[in-house]
Amino acid sequence: MSLREVLTPFSVWKRVLDAPVSIADPFSREASEHYRGFHKNDMETCIGCGTCEAICQNGAIDMVPVEGQNTEKGDSGLRPMIDYGRCCWCALCVDICMTGSLTMSNEYTWVDSDPDAFRFIPGLNEPWKDKQAGYKRENGRVLSGTTRSPMGELHANERIDNFNEICVGYTREEAILEADRCVECGLCVATCPAHMSIPDYIAAVRDQDYDRGLQLLYETNPFSEVCGRICTHKCETSCAAVHEGDAIAIRWLKRHIVDNVPLERRVELIGAPKPATGKSVAIIGAGPGGLTAAYDLAREGVKVTVYEALPKPGGMMRYGIPEYRLPYDALDRDIAVIEAMGVTIKCATVVGVDVQMEDLRQSHDAVILAIGLQMGRGTRIPGSEGAGVERAVDLLRRITAGDPTVPVPETAVVIGGGNVAFDIARSMARLQKIKYGRVGLTLTALEDRAHFLADKEELVEGDEEGVLILDSRGPQEVMRDPSGQVTGLRTWAVTSIFDAEGRFAPAYDESDEQIHQGALVIEAIGQMADTSLLGDALTEKLEWNRGRIKIDSEMRTSEPWLFAAGDAVKGPDVINAVADGHRAARTVMEAIAQGEVVQ
Amino acid sequence: MFSFQPDRSEYPQPGLDGKLEIDLETGKYLKLWHGPNHPGITGNMSVELTVCGDEVVEGKTHVGYLHRGFEKLMERRTFIQVFPIVCRVCVPEPDFNEYCYAAAVEELAGIEVPELATWMRTLILEMGRFNSYMMFLGGIGGALGLGITGQWMTYVRDLMLDRFEELTGARIYHMFILPGGVRGHLPEGFAARMEEVLQTAETYLADVDKVMFANSVFQLRTKGIGVIEPALFEPYGVTGPNARAGGVAKDVRKDSPYLVYDQLDFEVATGMDSDIFTRAKVRRADIQTSIDLIRQILKKMPKDGPVMAKLPNVLHWKIPRGETYIKGECSRGEYGYYLVTDGSGYPRRINVRGPSYTHAMALLEHLIPGTNISDVAALMVSLHTYPPEIER
Amino acid sequence: MMRDLHALLTPRHALGPLEIRRENLAFVTLPASNLRGFLTELRDTQGFSHLVLLTAVDWLEEGQFQLTYMMNNRARDLTLGVRVMLDRTTAQMDSIHDLWPTAATYQRELKEMFGITFPGSPRLDEEFILEGWTDLPPYRRDFDSLAYSQQTYAERPGRVTHDPREYMKSKLYPGG
Repeated sequence: MSLREVLTPFSVWKRVLDAPVSIADPFSREASEHYRGFHKNDMETCIGCGTCEAICQNGAIDMVPVEGQNTEKGDSGLRPMIDYGRCCWCALCVDICMTGSLTMSNEYTWVDSDPDAFRFIPGLNEPWKDKQAGYKRENGRVLSGTTRSPMGELHANERIDNFNEICVGYTREEAILEADRCVECGLCVATCPAHMSIPDYIAAVRDQDYDRGLQLLYETNPFSEVCGRICTHKCETSCAAVHEGDAIAIRWLKRHIVDNVPLERRVELIGAPKPATGKSVAIIGAGPGGLTAAYDLAREGVKVTVYEALPKPGGMMRYGIPEYRLPYDALDRDIAVIEAMGVTIKCATVVGVDVQMEDLRQSHDAVILAIGLQMGRGTRIPGSEGAGVERAVDLLRRITAGDPTVPVPETAVVIGGGNVAFDIARSMARLQKIKYGRVGLTLTALEDRAHFLADKEELVEGDEEGVLILDSRGPQEVMRDPSGQVTGLRTWAVTSIFDAEGRFAPAYDESDEQIHQGALVIEAIGQMADTSLLGDALTEKLEWNRGRIKIDSEMRTSEPWLFAAGDAVKGPDVINAVADGHRAARTVMEAIAQGEVVQ
Repeated sequence: MFSFQPDRSEYPQPGLDGKLEIDLETGKYLKLWHGPNHPGITGNMSVELTVCGDEVVEGKTHVGYLHRGFEKLMERRTFIQVFPIVCRVCVPEPDFNEYCYAAAVEELAGIEVPELATWMRTLILEMGRFNSYMMFLGGIGGALGLGITGQWMTYVRDLMLDRFEELTGARIYHMFILPGGVRGHLPEGFAARMEEVLQTAETYLADVDKVMFANSVFQLRTKGIGVIEPALFEPYGVTGPNARAGGVAKDVRKDSPYLVYDQLDFEVATGMDSDIFTRAKVRRADIQTSIDLIRQILKKMPKDGPVMAKLPNVLHWKIPRGETYIKGECSRGEYGYYLVTDGSGYPRRINVRGPSYTHAMALLEHLIPGTNISDVAALMVSLHTYPPEIER
Repeated sequence: MMRDLHALLTPRHALGPLEIRRENLAFVTLPASNLRGFLTELRDTQGFSHLVLLTAVDWLEEGQFQLTYMMNNRARDLTLGVRVMLDRTTAQMDSIHDLWPTAATYQRELKEMFGITFPGSPRLDEEFILEGWTDLPPYRRDFDSLAYSQQTYAERPGRVTHDPREYMKSKLYPGG
């Protein structure tokens, strides 16, 4: 050891002159830009899906009702409350947040003498509410998938000259990937009219347990094969995933389950109905509402007879929806399961002609009316009376029935922008392609493209198939040549559809006039019910509401033995009809049990 | 210079077989509780010493003061939920847990991590190593009554924590290395601010060299004391600087390169004497390596690119049955995660291999008999122990 | 390399099939009685001198404990996970503390946390982490840590949460 080693250490005395490095006022030290500090939540963007709660490994988050946040479609009305006694600021809740509403500020000091103050609902009135700095997920929502598994479908060239089904259905791999994206928040369940247990059956797909999936489907919907194809899937608009990415393909996953369970197995899984009760119910109309009620009642041991005017059961599902969207054999399978429950369907039996209402009343404990909306509405514009102008529902019915007299001119014009308008336009386009080798179809709608009533896929696929889709066009006159032959449709540009009070009152720019060539004009602007089967006496006796039979929330008409369901009384689609059918069946069961139904 | 030799004539010598009968009733022995709080040990650990005069005849390590049952807790959490708790296994150098866990999950789940993320991970690990050594230098100084190194190193560490804060969003538990990648890119101007920190660190480290390594007192107290014979390295699972100070260049970064270490230029620091001084000196050299590596990484890393791989929905994430072991060189030696999966959404078993497990238990207990009571602190600290990784 | 080694040692030690995880990591299972001989040969003739870790996995459903001895050959950068399956009810294994003194610590912990015993291992019954523990060894799968914490610690009062799906039902369609 040298003297050097004794003296060298003293050289660092120079540091005595250094300024102190401690921060004098630690409370006002600003944390970094990306600091994971106290939480913020944008109350308006938050949908209360509870995914933050699900991922929290500390169990620090509770979902609680908050004043001013209402429970509505796609928003549970709940908001996260965070217990800072448990939180570890890992920010997984921020990373998984489905809407991006939950973020963090860079604030990190908070002093309070009340320990309960540290259980708080971010987004209400915390002092750092409006601070911009703080952790934000840089890579977007990476903890659950944002992109939908694409559905395989026939290319436009492969499908335009036939009525083959367009969508091929998910493979198992695609379905598992898609099911994996679901976060099981359940916001969709409230939006589904039948309140199907969507997260549960999606979990069944993930687990590859199709038997369980099918049983779950049948708990709430005997038309899962149909709905798996053509449901209006409003549930998907409430999906939490839609805020940053694609909604879960709920409809396709439902179809995937049914596709994977053979018909015989379905009947087996559902099991036998309850023993016969000796009660009987007549149902008029073999559409989704009537048949759902029939299924439920049959399961309860009631003898059900369904009376259907047309040659085959299914109603609009068969005679309205084109085969390329819903193949007849898919519908037949759903109906076969219902028949397997002991339901008798009497087709080509017109009530009011072949059998009278009064007879049905006499011979059954109750009658359910589920007649749908079979009559198309007309535009009543000049020239719309007479040959060369058709109603969409009539044509669709004739196409399904294989009617050889369906007119198929080289050019045609469709009025309307809903799903029915597209159904007839695309059906007619196929017939034109088959007959002439090319499509000559124009579709005009009042709405602009962004507000079409039809599903988005209809526009995309209509475009692909060569249908000329014209938006914001209001029909003014069906043009006819001197011999009375239809030559086209004259339209004006639409400037607005509703007036200041929100009433339907289209306004036009008359200077923007077009004439669309076509030897056939098809009106697809709505339908109404044909209630003539009721007979004058009953019509007189029943209470009505704006041309519809009046019902209460439990599907009772003003006559104690008569119940009503489906499009004819409520609308507007299959899944709503299914929901109505369930409700009607439940009411009928209760009424029978209580002996309310007096003959 | 003088040297002090205690007079042991009045006290019985410890038996040669090391298994001497200690009869406390004789009044010749004293039980001394060394710990559980000690400035050189990050966390709580105590050594139950039996002393005879000023000579230690037996030492038993006691841990458990920080036991939270992490490995068990992990079995009850989904794969993503494990991520926020792994870092807590080691407070001063938490990032190794994040890296090892993430890499183990990625391997068993078959996830490919983007290139930039591997560079970011290496950067984070070197920053963590640097900080861990700051704690060590402060601790070894503190163990010998040299308080100033602790103050300086705490300051320098704090500057590095500022860089951690701006990069990861937190100072201590960074929770930045997520399975699949890392949570973000480098902030604007990060490299320049990091350079400032490194330069400040270098001036303070130069002073540490003067006040500690060139200090005759420090040398007297550490040279030739606490020697670990290299023959003990394998039987006692000695890794890292503790082995390197004995001439064995054990360093996972070289022996089994991970992340981007095979693309970086660095030498493994070694020493020959295997005593307390050499172990400290090796770590001092390692700090310079880390500083150089941080500079290299910031220079060589890709400027842009994705940092996260596509993950499945983490709420339903299941990993097929399998097992793997991921290791890396942390500041104390070989750090590793043994992950066993069973096809469910939860890990079947996670075992954390921390170097302190062997160093502070079997090895320390083996080294202690025969040492002077005043050397125990320096010996204990020189093994660089973080107790949470022992009791997990 | 790992395959050659496996082929070489299989006949003597009745090794199970080699499960290769990656280039420098593989796992192999062998009968418990062959473990000490195998590890000794690995250490003395094959350069696997570093005992990386020793731990257990509880396969409760299968009635077995898996012991994993992670062995490393640093020069060749090879790691071999050596697995031994033990009957869960007897839960006993030969000690290797004489081969690697540090193994005594692992074995002491395994005794405490899993209840696996290693006769002859030094200080096996001394408490390692737990003090005065009388319950099941806590790292066994059948020890329910959640139930334990619920019995031992009080929940913070006043916490209530709501399931979004059920809450929406109660608000929007209580009757179904």
